Amino acid sequence: MSEATNPETPLVNWVLNGQPVQSPAGMTIFEAAKALETTIPNFCYHPGLTIAGNCRICMVESNRSKKPVISCSERIAEGLEIQTESPMAIEARNAVMEFQLINHPLDCPVCDKAGECDLQDYSYDHGPDRSRFDEEKNIRHTKELGPTIDIWGNRCIVCTRCVRFCDEISGTGELCVVERGDRSVVDVFPTVPIDNPLAGNVVDICPVGALISNDFKFEARIWNMRKTDSVCAGCARGCNVEVQSLDGFVKRLVPRENMEVNKWWMCDEGRYDYRYLLADERVTACTKDGEPVEDHDAHETLAHWLQDPGGTLGILVDPYITCEEAFLVEQIASHANNALVGGWKPADGTAQSFPGQFTISGEKAPNRLGVEAVLGKLVFGSQGHALRTALEKGQVSTLIVFAGFPHPDPDDAWVQAIRKAKRRAVFALQAGAWTEGAGLVIPGASPFEKDGTYANEDGRLQRVRSFHAPGDVEWSHDLQRLQAVLRIAGLRPRSLSSSAVFRELADVKKPFHGLSHSTLPATGAPLPGFIPLPVGVEGGSV
Amino acid sequence: MSDLKFSEKGMKKYEWLLTRYPDKQAVLLPALRIAEAEFGELGIPEMKYVADLMGISPARVYGVVTFYTHFRRAGTGTFHIQVCSTLSCALRGSQELADHIAKRLGIEMGETTEDGMFSVSKVECLGSCDTAPMFQLNDNYHENLTLDDVDRIIEDCKKESARGGAR
Ligand code: SF4
Ligand code: SF4
Ligand code: FES
Ligand code: FES
Repeated sequence: MSEATNPETPLVNWVLNGQPVQSPAGMTIFEAAKALETTIPNFCYHPGLTIAGNCRICMVESNRSKKPVISCSERIAEGLEIQTESPMAIEARNAVMEFQLINHPLDCPVCDKAGECDLQDYSYDHGPDRSRFDEEKNIRHTKELGPTIDIWGNRCIVCTRCVRFCDEISGTGELCVVERGDRSVVDVFPTVPIDNPLAGNVVDICPVGALISNDFKFEARIWNMRKTDSVCAGCARGCNVEVQSLDGFVKRLVPRENMEVNKWWMCDEGRYDYRYLLADERVTACTKDGEPVEDHDAHETLAHWLQDPGGTLGILVDPYITCEEAFLVEQIASHANNALVGGWKPADGTAQSFPGQFTISGEKAPNRLGVEAVLGKLVFGSQGHALRTALEKGQVSTLIVFAGFPHPDPDDAWVQAIRKAKRRAVFALQAGAWTEGAGLVIPGASPFEKDGTYANEDGRLQRVRSFHAPGDVEWSHDLQRLQAVLRIAGLRPRSLSSSAVFRELADVKKPFHGLSHSTLPATGAPLPGFIPLPVGVEGGSV
Repeated sequence: MSDLKFSEKGMKKYEWLLTRYPDKQAVLLPALRIAEAEFGELGIPEMKYVADLMGISPARVYGVVTFYTHFRRAGTGTFHIQVCSTLSCALRGSQELADHIAKRLGIEMGETTEDGMFSVSKVECLGSCDTAPMFQLNDNYHENLTLDDVDRIIEDCKKESARGGAR
């Protein structure tokens, strides 16, 4: 809220639960209390949406009113005294919960929201343990609202968060509340399903299990999943996500709040794009001349190639490698007598902006800026051209390719060029045109399996983490493999964690000075001295 | 769907309404009234037409139309009986009235007769509490009702329909 962040906003003296406190004028009781670490229950309030004030669960006791007031819309004022846990406040919330639960099916055991459901939580805190309601519960529709979203109407508490999201954030307005009273429920216009690039967010913000994602329906219980903070690699926006997985399989991605990047949202394209992890084409084992080999054999072979490249060593990177991996690439190149490092990146798409000030970047890869910060701002530009020309002229003897893109883009010119190298090692996510005929193919890690940092289109450095459990060696990521190779080749003494590699990087690369994994805030930090240029401008950085 | 259009007169009225309210959205209710008068009912094409005309999402229109009981939704019978079931009417026997109507027409509350002649629904207070019990038949109030009145009114409707009168 602007009132809260503007240092010129005057402070208001008020009393919260008996404690005299000060807060910037203009804040709501709810927000001011939250800033003071007092949380008040809420359903319809969402920091990213307009205030609706319809659920009444946020009621508190006020010295200015005989009846409890709703804290999400009432503003603080000089001399206001608020009790959030007084008998009156608690009784008010208990009463709201009793009403909320009258028609609620209480089908938590089969509800996908159970475990992260506000209604469930408040029901434990405030709900009566039995119902005084003797009538029959009413029935509301369960149906598809669009290709990715179902509604289980009986669970809807009509908070209108989802409706406001479509009106205010995506600007597409597909949702509405139909009927009234106890029959009211969320619906779409009969011929206009909810189908917009941000639709998935309504499932996240539904405080109950009324809106259900088809993709996640019945996939896992919330509390069983492993939750890993990482970053979406779908585009250069770098939305902060939580990767939720079970037994080594990603079950869903949900956005994490980061006001500098994605606020509370993410796009559907990024959200649902994780199935490639299990694609049939996924490279799962090392091969040498088409035959499966042990990891160590593959690493050893590559190490020998590096010790004796037999002429020019070429390294083709993509914008999916982490800054740490880029740093090792540079080490490899610096040890070779004759090395050419160049980059390939997927074609730009079109950027999309939404009324809720959310943007999907037109640049469809996560770390161009980060790779440029390590390997030079022309790595995807003229350096890439130079590498390709050398390849086309047959001047490259040994080539290492990083093909970590989730959706192989048959870029013909490059595919033809890399085949001209005398020998080729490919770190590949998927088998295809880039791996065909390669002497060595090494399984590449997907962005969700890497450990390191990406820099988004604003030059904000953010941590990516592997969703696999520690010690789960099945998917050693490229950073570990590269270090294994470098160790065998005698170029690095031992393998280190990505945090340690980052420390080395931060010591020698100016844009990273002063940064470290451990001090990087959860919301990332801008690379100092990095000036992002528009997408499509060559070397749009430094 | 595409050839729906307000008449010149309807359009004039709509445009005049736009000048009467500070906010375009506020014109939705009267605009729906015009649509109802011109098109006879508010079905999917009609709601879509109003939404496009006003530049708002069809879902918004749908929400408003379904919120109220007084709009003629698609599929409503020629004669729509809306029985008030709120307090004054309830105290004065609206339940009996509703049961009687349902029995006479052979349908449940909220249903339409097979021939499409009658629809009957229970609604909340129609602001005519002093003359309870009452119902609204299409655009007219029928007040201080007895069961005999109901029989007579239903017969009148049938006769009117036989004469070719609609509403
Ligand atoms: S579907 Fe969920 S978010 Fe939408 S109104 Fe109902 S409870 Fe609220
Ligand atoms: S906007 Fe980009 S980074 Fe954000 S979720 Fe979508 S694809 Fe991922
Ligand atoms: S959160 Fe305050 S009324 Fe819903
Ligand atoms: S209670 Fe029936 S008209 Fe008011």
